[in-house]
Amino acid sequence: MSAQERRPENDGRDFADAMWSVPSSLLAGMAIYGGLGWLLDRWLGMSAFFPIGVVLGVVLGGYLVYRKFGR
Amino acid sequence: MSVLAEVSGNVTAIGYGLAAIGPGIGVGIIFGQGVQAIARQPEAYGLIRQNMLLGFVLTEALALIGLVAPFIFQNIGAA
Amino acid sequence: MNALTVLLAPAGDQFGAPTPEELFNLPPIIPGVYWFTKPVLLAMLSAVLVIGVTWAAFAKPKLVPRGVQNAVELGYMFVRDQVARPFLGKDADRWMGLLVSVFFLVLVWNLMGVVPVLQFPVASHIAFPAVLALVIYGLKVYLGIKHQGGVGYFKNMMFPPGLPKPIYFLLAPIEFLSNMIIAPFTHAVRLFANMFAGHMLLAFFSMVGFWFLFEKLTPLGAPVGVVGVVMTILLTGLEIFIQYLQAFLFAMLAAMYIGGSLHPEH
Repeated sequence: MSAQERRPENDGRDFADAMWSVPSSLLAGMAIYGGLGWLLDRWLGMSAFFPIGVVLGVVLGGYLVYRKFGR
Repeated sequence: MSVLAEVSGNVTAIGYGLAAIGPGIGVGIIFGQGVQAIARQPEAYGLIRQNMLLGFVLTEALALIGLVAPFIFQNIGAA
Repeated sequence: MNALTVLLAPAGDQFGAPTPEELFNLPPIIPGVYWFTKPVLLAMLSAVLVIGVTWAAFAKPKLVPRGVQNAVELGYMFVRDQVARPFLGKDADRWMGLLVSVFFLVLVWNLMGVVPVLQFPVASHIAFPAVLALVIYGLKVYLGIKHQGGVGYFKNMMFPPGLPKPIYFLLAPIEFLSNMIIAPFTHAVRLFANMFAGHMLLAFFSMVGFWFLFEKLTPLGAPVGVVGVVMTILLTGLEIFIQYLQAFLFAMLAAMYIGGSLHPEH
């Protein structure tokens, strides 16, 4: 698997994979952690956790894509 | 004087439209310059690709934050 | 008839931009049969057209292609070289049937938006791309479980190697959501949103031209109408390009999902 992975014709596929998974990863991170923050806000009656959760989710999603594809 | 043109609908749509301008330009610059860099120096492909990915992630994050900004500011503005 | 009702819609003296309601919520063609609207008719027409053309091309294939076979083979070669081979590798030929069908069907659906009398991109109703995306999604999950095992598929998906251990706790839900829910959603919405916005844009500018040049011809309004007509012509060209590009991207993402299920990443 690793021998096949390094061949130059697979580079294009890897690159396309990475670029297409950026928006969905960021959206998923925002949805999960923003949603958690929103629920916390509802529970505690505050309005601070939702923005924090959104930003945290974006950062985590971006970190995930960067570590996964950017060697 | 009669009304020449009017806009009706949700203001947040305009907000997202404005928020999408900057990331649009940014993504265009990143990919344009990235492809140019790869064409000039194909042997540096790995490094260029990594930095393109980083720049794309950071720029796309701005666009997506613009998408949820109306929800964040909902309970501050109109209420 | 539908085009007329749209063009005559804004009553009164002021120009009113077309609303999504009047552009996309079309009345049934046969009164009483509520599901049989223009997009349904066009979708059936496109399916018949794609089947007919490919049948005419490949029913009796010749070694030296001529006529219809020549043209359709060009499309087939495009799908094979640009869509299937980069993402599926040696499995490309097994999946060509599905990918060619998806590509040609979506292309004809989209091109219905600029064919003069029909003028309605079928994919601008989200039900049509959603069904296609759901089919691809079901295929993706089925192939992944078949080729990587039930546990192995979700393990490969949610725990990509090469990350520090404690952070998996935070990142696994993101991976799951992004692969299982966001990916098929954006797959359908990307096609839908492009077709929807393109149809709105064309309708708006052609209505500007019609209103200011034919309905209310005034010296001040005439230049605006000319601008509307010119923009309609330019945007139609752009729209044909976008329609082709979206069909290509839809088929490409389908190939990418299938390839990702067949071979786990790294």
